[in-house]
Amino acid sequence: MTLLEFASGPGLQWALWIFVFGITWRVVGAVFLLSRKDISKPRHTNTISAGLGAVWSRSSPARAFEKKIRFQHVTGYAWHFALFISVLFFAPHILFFESVLGFSWPHLPNTIILITAIVATAVLIALLIRRATHPVQRFISNADDYISIFVVLVPLVTGILAFTHFGARYETLLAVHLLSVEVMLIWFPFGKLMHMIMTIPARFQAGTAFGRRGVKA
Amino acid sequence: MRKDQNLGEYLRMQGVSRRGFLKFCSATASLMALPPSAVSQVAEALATARRPSVIWMSFQECTGCTESLTRSHAPTLESLIFDAISLDYHHTLQAAAGHGAEAAREAAMEENKGEYILVVDGSIPNGNNGYSTIAGISNHDMLIEAAENCFAIVAVGTCAAFGGLPNADPNPTGAVSVSEIIKDKPIINVSGCPPIPVVITGVLAHFLTFGTIPELDALGRPVAFFGQNIHDRCYRRPFYERGQFAETFDDEGARKGWCLYKLGCKGPTTYNACATLKWNQGTSFPIQSGHGCIGCSEPRFWDKGGFYDPISAGQWGSRDALLGAAAAGAALGVGSALAARARKKKAQAAEEI
Amino acid sequence: MNTEAMSLQDFRGKLREMSVDTPGRDLTDEDRVRRAKKAFAQKLNGHRAVDMDTCLQCGMCAEACHFYEATQDERYAPVYKFRPLRRFYRREMSPMRWFYRAFTRDITVADLKEWQHLVYDACTGCGRCDMICPMGIKISAAIRVMRHGLAGAGFVPSEMRIIRDEQRDKNTLFGVGAEQLRALVERLGAQGINVPLDREQADVMLLTTAIEVLLFPDAFAATAKILNKAGANWTIRSDAFEAANVGIITGDDPTMILAIKRIVEKASAIGAKTVLMPESGHAYQTLRWEGANEMGEPLSFDVISIPEFVAAEIKAGRLNLKTQTNGASVTYHDPCRLSRKGGVTQQPRDVLTAMGLEVRETASNRRENYCCGGGCGEFVLKSAADLRQKAFEIKKHEIDETGADAVVTGCSNCRVNLMIGADNSGWRTPVTSLVETVAANLAD
Repeated sequence: MTLLEFASGPGLQWALWIFVFGITWRVVGAVFLLSRKDISKPRHTNTISAGLGAVWSRSSPARAFEKKIRFQHVTGYAWHFALFISVLFFAPHILFFESVLGFSWPHLPNTIILITAIVATAVLIALLIRRATHPVQRFISNADDYISIFVVLVPLVTGILAFTHFGARYETLLAVHLLSVEVMLIWFPFGKLMHMIMTIPARFQAGTAFGRRGVKA
Repeated sequence: MRKDQNLGEYLRMQGVSRRGFLKFCSATASLMALPPSAVSQVAEALATARRPSVIWMSFQECTGCTESLTRSHAPTLESLIFDAISLDYHHTLQAAAGHGAEAAREAAMEENKGEYILVVDGSIPNGNNGYSTIAGISNHDMLIEAAENCFAIVAVGTCAAFGGLPNADPNPTGAVSVSEIIKDKPIINVSGCPPIPVVITGVLAHFLTFGTIPELDALGRPVAFFGQNIHDRCYRRPFYERGQFAETFDDEGARKGWCLYKLGCKGPTTYNACATLKWNQGTSFPIQSGHGCIGCSEPRFWDKGGFYDPISAGQWGSRDALLGAAAAGAALGVGSALAARARKKKAQAAEEI
Repeated sequence: MNTEAMSLQDFRGKLREMSVDTPGRDLTDEDRVRRAKKAFAQKLNGHRAVDMDTCLQCGMCAEACHFYEATQDERYAPVYKFRPLRRFYRREMSPMRWFYRAFTRDITVADLKEWQHLVYDACTGCGRCDMICPMGIKISAAIRVMRHGLAGAGFVPSEMRIIRDEQRDKNTLFGVGAEQLRALVERLGAQGINVPLDREQADVMLLTTAIEVLLFPDAFAATAKILNKAGANWTIRSDAFEAANVGIITGDDPTMILAIKRIVEKASAIGAKTVLMPESGHAYQTLRWEGANEMGEPLSFDVISIPEFVAAEIKAGRLNLKTQTNGASVTYHDPCRLSRKGGVTQQPRDVLTAMGLEVRETASNRRENYCCGGGCGEFVLKSAADLRQKAFEIKKHEIDETGADAVVTGCSNCRVNLMIGADNSGWRTPVTSLVETVAANLAD
């Protein structure tokens, strides 16, 4: 079995099992702790829409805060946008997703993907540097913060290398790329990459809690 | 051709002009990635080369490799070179049969001890020796005997090089490659199903020219021919970059000659000279004719997923397995939450001021 | 009005006299950690779990915190203030506790000591960080659990402990009890302001706070005048008038529940349909949003704040206000527990505008308003004096930027803190209360 065969076969399967297992474990385990039902008289009763509203509105900071967090605001958008374009609209990636999902969607030219991937990598490196140097971020950071950046950064770099056939033979680069993605999938449920899933319930519960008090979350 | 005649004399005798010969030499030199200044050296070496003795053994094979070499529609310099070697034993091509043929083989081995080149096509059944025998001798034993005093082995075709089709899952004959049996001789793998003819003769020309083993890659293949992958040399590469793909074999993209990546082309992971040398005297190669590369020069190409599955497709496993993982995760989650809630209840019950 | 208020200086003297080292509980280190964990476990629910599991450690919350902004001390990043709770959650309550335990340090007494400063001195629970968090994490709720844990472990700061014990054991605060209230009511009666004390039946039960009785009796008098003017059927009970709740401030549940219970039982007993909260942010928050949950059943009455009440009375036509024509401008300071934690932001502005006042907004307003710097009981802590003053400077700066003639607020705690800050820095902008402004503009 070659490295590539391992990476696209058993390696991928195990990574996916751990990924799915870990996510359900953590989400169910946290949500199932349950909270007491709030029986105070609500100011507004339509808490569902308030919750959904918060899922949307927390994507951009309130006016009073925007100036202070502009760097993170802009880089945050640049990072996620560039990442999602690179992951979701690269033709080989779409074929990868199609092999499990059974459906596909239009792709973008590789040149654009190369640009977004380089942007994503550059922004992530900038964020890494910020985390290592900004007084607050450096102070509050733990291993998870760095591991989570690392396990996302490596697939990006190996992806770009594989795409450009640079540094080693293509099948080796592709295998390493896949393996790095698998490492990311395995780490995902255990670290803060989980925010990809948790953001929705967290924002939603904030929206409902504020909403019933008549406050826009 | 007499045995003491050198190659130059022989070619002249066959009516090959000096100009034609030099043309071949420069082509060979460029194939072997030698600088232009080396052409005269190649020409001189080839013109004065003695005919080496070659013993060609065919084991579990389909004769495709031999066909590739001999079925050119017109005689070529490559085939002439091939004629020029002293092919002392070849199942398919030799006139002799039976004990006579085996005697010729043994005589050639004895006469050219330590100097002859052993060419093998076909894989060797290592499970049960009875699967393939010649004159009552198993392939395995014959290979070991022939290899003992050879100068080098050329494993022609993917079967000899890597096990090939006979080795495909479930491999009923226990087929293995030459290199899995012979460990103490230089082996040059000229893989492909079949290999490009000029690559076979190119390797022989290298022997004739330098008397040495060419530079090999990690899989024992001559770097001069297997150093680059099809994708990097493919004339359809610009369509890949632009994201223009044929989605089916009969769509607009296919007619326009767009990239075949989505149709399972294995060009990016296949190392061979198809995209540059092409086939049938440089006429075409599979991608040019509209079909993706199937990666025939790579080990176990038959078992690496479907020929029409894109390279980037992964084997995700069954949906049930993923659902099972989710169910197990949910169960663990509920369990851990229940335990944590029990702890919380206990903490709330314990009223100590 | 002259209602014989205690001077600010006298009140500050009273605060200064409070001991900083009253003997606390005598507990071993192991006991303290165990009790802190127990308290954490009591309060950890699905909401907090999702919050803990979602935090990105982006550090944006620091940018919302006045204490971080004023000091640039990274320990004051709100995310750091609940770090021990997160550690406890990860090690002992989270779904992946078996995994995290290997990488997460256990909490120690040294941690608890350190965090006493971070969550009592350096956090007013104002929740401004809750508004900036891109994940919607209720950071202030987590820090409240931290106070709960520290209270359980016996790490409530000395001054807070004194007033908590006073409220729990004597039902007084700063020495203000039934007697002092009665005396105030008498003084007001002498001035012709009728306060229906201790009626057995009333629709509206008014509460007040010790701070009001001591420092801002004018605000109490103003509330009485407004209620009388609006023709409300109201009372205030000398046995259950204290709206402030030191239990919730310190993180001490039994005291919190006791204080809530005193009010709820009395209000039910007299058949009140409405409990009217005085100008006190945390008191409103406590009864309005925690009351029913702590009592375990819905309240039999509505809890409304003064701004809500006044705005509703104006709207209903029961209260008429004079309209100022002198072009006076004010800025409204949103008490955190009324605005972002209570949803009362528009009403006070409506009331001020109804009086013809120009309301000039500070750069940060409503749900993003800066804290006065001394909420959540912090104004009693001597160890936090410097921090408070630095945070106040931010508030002061924003108010100065508006160029308004005065600051109006709806919380006596904010008011006293702004006044102390002004006193320290020689700031001249008047700080007044909404209810007093309304009372001064009652039309005949």
